[in-house]
Amino acid sequence: MHIYRDIYKHIPIFGSLMPGIIGFYPFGEGRENWNACRFLYYGLNALQHRGQESTGLSSLGKDRLLSTINDDVMVEDFFKEKAGSLKEGHIAIGQTSPIKGDGVIYVKEPVELVCVGDGKPDLHPDKVTAFKIFSEKLSQMIYKCGDTLEATKSIIREVHGGYSFIVLTKNEEMICGRDIHGVKPLEIGAIGFDIGIVASETAALDVMGAEHTGSVNPGEVVIFDPLSIRRERCGEPNRKYCSFEYIYLARLDSYLNGISVSKVRENIGRALARERPIQANVVIGIPETALAFAMAYSEEARIPTRIGFVRTGRYTRSAIRPTQLERLTGVQLKLNPVRYSVDNKDVILIDDSVVRGNTLKSTVLDLKRKGAKRVHVKIGSPALVAPCPYGTEVPPRDELIGGNLSEEEISYVIGADSFSFLPISKLVECIGLKESELCMKCFGVDWEVK
Amino acid sequence: MGVGNGAREHIIAKKLAESKYRPKVYWVGELQNPGILRICKQSGGEYALCKTTDPEKVVTHALRWGVDFVFVGPEEPNFHGVPDICEKNGIPCIGASSKLAKIEMSKAELRRLQWKYDLKGKLLFKTFRTAEEASRYLEKYSETLTWLQNVALKPARQAGGRGVKVVDDRHIYLHDEKERFKKQHASWLESYMKSFSGIEDKILVEEKVWGPEYTLQCFTDGKVVKGMPLVQDNKNAHEFDIGTETGGMGSISGPGMTLPFITKDEYEESLKIVDSIVKAIQDEVGECYHGVVAGQMMITEVEGPTIIEMYSRFGDPEALNVLSTLKTDLIDICYGIIDGRLSSINIEFEDSVTVVKAVAPKGYPDFRDLAKNHPVIVDEEKIVNEGCEFYWGSADLKDDGSIVTGGSRVCEILCKSDRFEEASERIERCIAYIRLGDGWGLFHRSDIGSLELLARRMDVADRVRRLYRYRLEKGILGRRFDWLPGLGMVDPVATLKKSLMGESV
Repeated sequence: MHIYRDIYKHIPIFGSLMPGIIGFYPFGEGRENWNACRFLYYGLNALQHRGQESTGLSSLGKDRLLSTINDDVMVEDFFKEKAGSLKEGHIAIGQTSPIKGDGVIYVKEPVELVCVGDGKPDLHPDKVTAFKIFSEKLSQMIYKCGDTLEATKSIIREVHGGYSFIVLTKNEEMICGRDIHGVKPLEIGAIGFDIGIVASETAALDVMGAEHTGSVNPGEVVIFDPLSIRRERCGEPNRKYCSFEYIYLARLDSYLNGISVSKVRENIGRALARERPIQANVVIGIPETALAFAMAYSEEARIPTRIGFVRTGRYTRSAIRPTQLERLTGVQLKLNPVRYSVDNKDVILIDDSVVRGNTLKSTVLDLKRKGAKRVHVKIGSPALVAPCPYGTEVPPRDELIGGNLSEEEISYVIGADSFSFLPISKLVECIGLKESELCMKCFGVDWEVK
Repeated sequence: MGVGNGAREHIIAKKLAESKYRPKVYWVGELQNPGILRICKQSGGEYALCKTTDPEKVVTHALRWGVDFVFVGPEEPNFHGVPDICEKNGIPCIGASSKLAKIEMSKAELRRLQWKYDLKGKLLFKTFRTAEEASRYLEKYSETLTWLQNVALKPARQAGGRGVKVVDDRHIYLHDEKERFKKQHASWLESYMKSFSGIEDKILVEEKVWGPEYTLQCFTDGKVVKGMPLVQDNKNAHEFDIGTETGGMGSISGPGMTLPFITKDEYEESLKIVDSIVKAIQDEVGECYHGVVAGQMMITEVEGPTIIEMYSRFGDPEALNVLSTLKTDLIDICYGIIDGRLSSINIEFEDSVTVVKAVAPKGYPDFRDLAKNHPVIVDEEKIVNEGCEFYWGSADLKDDGSIVTGGSRVCEILCKSDRFEEASERIERCIAYIRLGDGWGLFHRSDIGSLELLARRMDVADRVRRLYRYRLEKGILGRRFDWLPGLGMVDPVATLKKSLMGESV
């Protein structure tokens, strides 16, 4: 273990995926009877795959005082240990983040408000600071402009980047919005005749018992106040949806921008099977994300799929562990191979993405030692070659194996008999939008902010 | 003479005035609706302010003016017996008598009637006189009568859409929160119902259902029930189907008699259901229904087409969708109803689609005091230039010529087209021509008529249709099955029927 620590201590934290954010807002007679935090507990739990290093929650009750608590713990522990000291309120916003020290941002003046955000406004290299500046700007603009809707529209026009946010003001206004490109998702749902909910993913709406009723569109502002919902676009949207959300980040049971994540992943599995077909005896998906790819691959290629690994310990996403050591430990605990599934077989091994290739190398070696004759690796995404400017923290270019080595070279390095990525054009087909409507900067497809 | 002062009455007045008989149109309303007033004046008739729930006062005006017949717009005058007293004075009336209007006034009576006559399209229900009784029952029996877990809590009396809460308590982890909310709402309902007299049941608890909603409005002379094109109203106050239940924030109809998400068969079935209710209430009270009757309906998993509520009149805004496309002379229809020969009248509608959006002052529907008495400024000419029709709703023309909000939906804009989204967009352009002079906010739903919303309705309809059709094929439509560990099979329908035995409708 010491060796690992030494080897990887220089590696920067790779774990800043993207926070999950939620806003809860009841309407009408009796609205003050709801306890928003009860719902947020389950909603935030449902978004924890997006990040679990810190949790933040802010509520607003009858007394119209904002009460906020942030802590570097997981949602469950947060509610067990901290939430008790939060004041009960009928309105609340919250986030679960992959960044320590992240949380609900509080701005006292000139307009008192709290903010949670996903992605990154182009205001500072650091996500937390960037949203802090964003919130302050918004507070000042609302004060200056007098109208919250107009103020938010002008801020979205002015601030570039890829972000979605939920802001709650002391005046009981809940402001939700996405940048003009809509890089980061934001979905809306309703419960009965009472409650409106905004969340990063529809899975959180399901878990809170809400019906999914729409998306906040790119460049759109939606404002909830006790007597109305106002909704306006600030200019023509220029859609650049994050493609990585569909491949990896979002939950399989979510719909983002009207597209089923599950459908995209099924398409990817089929596309991998059609692209450069390989003879093999079994298809194995690396849990959790690549299981969906493997099932569709198996069906398309008519090669059976088996459960390849069994997990030890509770489910956490290995990529959102903060250090390489923790990640490798996580992967190894997560991925104990099922020998019977691979012994004396030609195996097609499917994973969702490759960053440095370390964990994949370890996995291929494991399968071979358990008797796999051949291991062909298929990746459900194109090669990661560049950092994400919107907060999904990818290591520097020189640490990305896909940006530095050819597919053949990678296969030698990880000890696989063949290795291939999903071509960019196929990914576009699998999502079902135009290439111009997707952000694929991390795959080397650049576009300029207009 | 017409009764009532909303947008629904505005279009009724307009259609009456457009008749080939060139009638003089007289009106009574509680507020001075500027649109109706104009129509009255142009036709040579008059408009009087009058408490429309006071039958004596209403009939005094009718007698004074010597009108040929009375057309009642809203439900409250029906509940209070305006049609009854008109007929007593020899003035024919398009409007359900107070006894017939019970199908709307008492949601509990409607359910009892449906169960007593074993009609199709009904829901399980239970009524209570106090919140305490309701809470106790919900708590005690949610485990043995499992439908009580997922319920709609309603005032037992029609209250303009107010006070309805749907509590879906399927998530055990949120149960305590939902339980608490149910109790709190029950006690709110109890105190709310204190303002209504003449009704014993205060709180109605119904099984919760899901599916696409639609309104089927019909003319009836008591012998035949003739359906109009289906309309879908949007009850949630705000965008994304979020927020409080209202009287309706806007509606769509067409093309043709059904909607894109309702089949022809479902239309026919719905018409039979409404017809069966008219027949049943006539048998029950021994009176003849002549006027407008409507089913506010939903396609549900357990019953297929299902009655959510009944209207003893046109819906508002739904009246605008159907009357704007009505080709037949409304007065011919009225006389068909009055003379009991509606079957011989051919009622025709244009084939176009229609979209209606209501505009309301902030505060509607739950905080009406905030929504009242704001000056309204409208550029009607520009709205007409956009190809839309403008109808005044809850608005009051003052002596000084200013118009102020009455607290409910202040106006409704209608657009006819061959495409929903085009109609919706045209109405959106008109919204800017309506504002409040004191800067208080107005709201409306921009999503009504959008393809996005239509796609969602179709999706819900497809899902629930698959379920009820399967039940239909299996022969178990309308049945409910519960199995309770230790107790065995429980039939909530049998339980309900047993508890209704001995009770009279």
